[in-house]
Amino acid sequence: MIALRFIRVVHLLLAHGLLVLSVCAVAADSSDEWEFPENLKPTFESLVADQQRFISSGDFLDFIPARQMVHELTTRKGEELSMMIAELMAAAEQMGYNANRDMGAMPLNTDTVRFNDLVIRPPLLRDENREPGPFSVNRYLFSESGVPTFAGANVAIWPEDLIAGNVDVAIVGVPNDMGSGRRNANFGPRVMRAMNTLALPDVNSLLDPRKVLSIVDYGDFAIDRMSTELTVDHVTSMVTETSDTGAIPMLVGGDTSMLYPGVKGVAESRGRGEFGLVHFSAHPDTDREAVHTISDEQALFMLLDEGIVSGEDVITVGLRGPTVNIDTLQWLRGQRVRYHTMAEIRRNGYDAVMARVQDEVANGPEKIFVSIDVSVIEPSQMVAAGRIASNGLSVQEVATAIRYLCAEKQIVGFEITDMAPMLDFSRLSVVNANTVLNACLVGLALRKAGLSANYVHPLAIDHGQD
Amino acid sequence: MFSLASFSRAILGSAIISLPQFMQSAIAQDMPEHVTGTAPYPFTMLDVRGFEDSEAPIQLPDAVAEKLELLSEEQIEFLQSDDARTYIGNLEKTVAKLEESTPAEVLALVEAMQDVVSQTRYVEGRDDSNIDLNTDSPKFNAWRLRRPLSMDPKREPGPVKLGRYNGRGGPPTFGGYPLALTPEDLIAGEVDVAIVGAPLNMGSGWRDSGAQATIEMRVQGEAMSGSDQYVGLTAGRILNIVDYGDVAIDNASTERSMKHVREVVREIAETGAVPVIIGGDHSLEYPNVAGLADVYGKEKVSVIHFDSHYDAWWGGSHLISHGTPVYRLLNEGHVRPADYIQVGLRSSGPDPEAFEWMREVGMRFHTMAEVERRGWDAVIERVVAEASEEGRKLHISFDIDVIDPGITTATGTPVPGGLDMRESITIVRRLCAEANVVGFDLVELHPALDPTYVSTLSSAHIVKACLTGLAMREKELTDPHYLSPIASEHAIDNYYGDQQEYLDKTAELEAKREAEKQDKEED
Repeated sequence: MIALRFIRVVHLLLAHGLLVLSVCAVAADSSDEWEFPENLKPTFESLVADQQRFISSGDFLDFIPARQMVHELTTRKGEELSMMIAELMAAAEQMGYNANRDMGAMPLNTDTVRFNDLVIRPPLLRDENREPGPFSVNRYLFSESGVPTFAGANVAIWPEDLIAGNVDVAIVGVPNDMGSGRRNANFGPRVMRAMNTLALPDVNSLLDPRKVLSIVDYGDFAIDRMSTELTVDHVTSMVTETSDTGAIPMLVGGDTSMLYPGVKGVAESRGRGEFGLVHFSAHPDTDREAVHTISDEQALFMLLDEGIVSGEDVITVGLRGPTVNIDTLQWLRGQRVRYHTMAEIRRNGYDAVMARVQDEVANGPEKIFVSIDVSVIEPSQMVAAGRIASNGLSVQEVATAIRYLCAEKQIVGFEITDMAPMLDFSRLSVVNANTVLNACLVGLALRKAGLSANYVHPLAIDHGQD
Repeated sequence: MFSLASFSRAILGSAIISLPQFMQSAIAQDMPEHVTGTAPYPFTMLDVRGFEDSEAPIQLPDAVAEKLELLSEEQIEFLQSDDARTYIGNLEKTVAKLEESTPAEVLALVEAMQDVVSQTRYVEGRDDSNIDLNTDSPKFNAWRLRRPLSMDPKREPGPVKLGRYNGRGGPPTFGGYPLALTPEDLIAGEVDVAIVGAPLNMGSGWRDSGAQATIEMRVQGEAMSGSDQYVGLTAGRILNIVDYGDVAIDNASTERSMKHVREVVREIAETGAVPVIIGGDHSLEYPNVAGLADVYGKEKVSVIHFDSHYDAWWGGSHLISHGTPVYRLLNEGHVRPADYIQVGLRSSGPDPEAFEWMREVGMRFHTMAEVERRGWDAVIERVVAEASEEGRKLHISFDIDVIDPGITTATGTPVPGGLDMRESITIVRRLCAEANVVGFDLVELHPALDPTYVSTLSSAHIVKACLTGLAMREKELTDPHYLSPIASEHAIDNYYGDQQEYLDKTAELEAKREAEKQDKEED
């Protein structure tokens, strides 16, 4: 028998704001050494001390699985074995940063007169001739005039417009596109405007969200298409500014890295720890060792790590992607995050899990931020997901849950991310992304109209003829 | 003949260019080629086109003097400068604005403009000059770590055939060619051409060039092998061609990917093989040419840039993107401007100022306007002649958006009015045969936009055209516009009046092949 059940323990420490990470491997029996089959011991002992340490410490596990190491130790001898270990160790030496060898930062052109492109002109320098308030892009009272807007809504440009119009929901595009999956999410906002299926009357409540809510298209927030790092601060401050007016920022990505400035921006306005986060995604987005300082894969980690939301106020639904592993789930548990994987949903049924989520939400903060990475949806209904993952939730399941949340709690922000329209020539993904967004608008309308989250109009449920 | 002195004169003689900035960096020999640690970019970053303060200050009439009474000297100067024009317009508009404003309003306006200008520029201390990376990450370099050879069963160096049936039937490779992974493989296999993928996916703001492109070019790229009827050759039988795998890319940083692509291009070129890089976006032109310059020397390699865009843009905060590779190569002194030949330009840039700059520094551009005026045949002859001057070493950078988007729809920034496939294949084959080509890249293919596979297929045929040309050069078939005498004329009748010429040429070629065959047998 071979005792190879390694448990990798990852310690995260925060020192001077920098992430310090140490990894150690511990054998299942708490001993520091491997337990070899007797016949491998002579092979192991034939290696020099630091090579033995490389194997016994489990450091090699970053490069090849334990199964393979046993195979190599069994089949290789002498020089052939020690050379392979030496090459692995040489690779291990190269893994980390070396100031003399590696570029430690990405240089910018500081001489350019356009260094900060995301600057907004102050009111004095705006060539505008109108009173504040949302305005229509249409020539006609009922017919549209060809300029696509979210929900066919009026346009607002400045916070003054939101205030003057007493706006409830500001739908705004954040067209960045540096996701770790397939790209083109930068086209999300434009195409979701073009295929407008938003703010339509709802068959359950028979409410027309546009009649209940003051909704505007708040344009796009500017991004630096070559750098998420240089995008984050601007988006954060724009979200804060929007939230400060009292309107709910409803963000349309863009890739999921924008979850970070979306939630952070609201937190700057409403206060850190003042609201919970419900995140629908196939991916946990909690990479804790990333080389880059921001990306979709670490957005949730950054929010938790910086204390922008508390772990116990975070619920994440639909996990199944390739970065869902033991380390990550253990870390989420350690953060007290309520996670619901597709494993739980398949075993217990979606309704049961959603009932559990509803309980968790009921016991959580009164205010919530709702986020959906479209990867949570089944690919046959969302082939344009940038980080596509098989075996997801149906659009109906997601929309019902979103509608409930947006009606039941006080929503401080909403975000939908990572829909890359060019990946779907049928455009079905766009319609479905709008369906999810629409579900929140309906929920918000229900709440404002004083109706319960599960309200169904009696006329809608039965023809009453028999 | 081009000289540093004449180049400097050209620059100094220009009204719009104040300083030969990039020549200063080009002639500084000891500078590092790339950024290490957190050091800044080691070259000057000023835009030599005179992007800044290109217009003379306006002179305000005395009539508005009293409106300026609250302004400081510096603020009046600002109001007259080019910076203010962006916000309150030309002299006429400025005077009108001043006349309708009180002195206090004028002061507020100028302060607002100064504030915006200051915010827009880089300010030391306030702005970061670099984008930080997490250097504490234990997997900082994981993306580009090479797999130790000893992890695999021992094999002799040399290209590996992946299929069971004489190399066929295995996982798809570029053109079905065997796989090589190390320089040792290239040397042992006496490899002439190494096709390498570089799935860089950060390109344009519209659609981007897919990380999937290198895979699709393997899956759909059978066209890269097989015989070429036009010249009667099969490149793969004459040249040793391999698939060199993909270069590791950090798709969250073009800048970071550049260094590694350059290393891999360099290691291929050092073996004497011609690197053929399949992109990825057009940022790749920079590391491709820089890698060649590392091997053949600075200012020793010329570049033909096929593109609907000129890609010598500069002046944004990023030092590399798919709009800037040409400028960066010039700025770092890898290529002389006179050795830059651009073909197919037709996008909304360059503007007249940039054209003037290109002409001043001596770049050789061939726009679609030139094609419209002179005809394609005349332009192609001129391009081939320029490319073949003095036997100079040549890199061809082929952005598929030079082709008409009716054919290559699946590209990042399509522009109508481009080349057709007949024109494209011919010029690429001719260049690879008649000039001394040491590198080739094909970029900006986005397979997600290619449900018909036509863009991928066309891209593969462009690569094939170059492979065929390289094989022709190997066979010394380098006469201007060589075509197979038997493929281009059936010679059963004398319709064009030159029947005998084609029969003689065919006989000559057959005799040559026969002699080669006998030589081989005697060996």
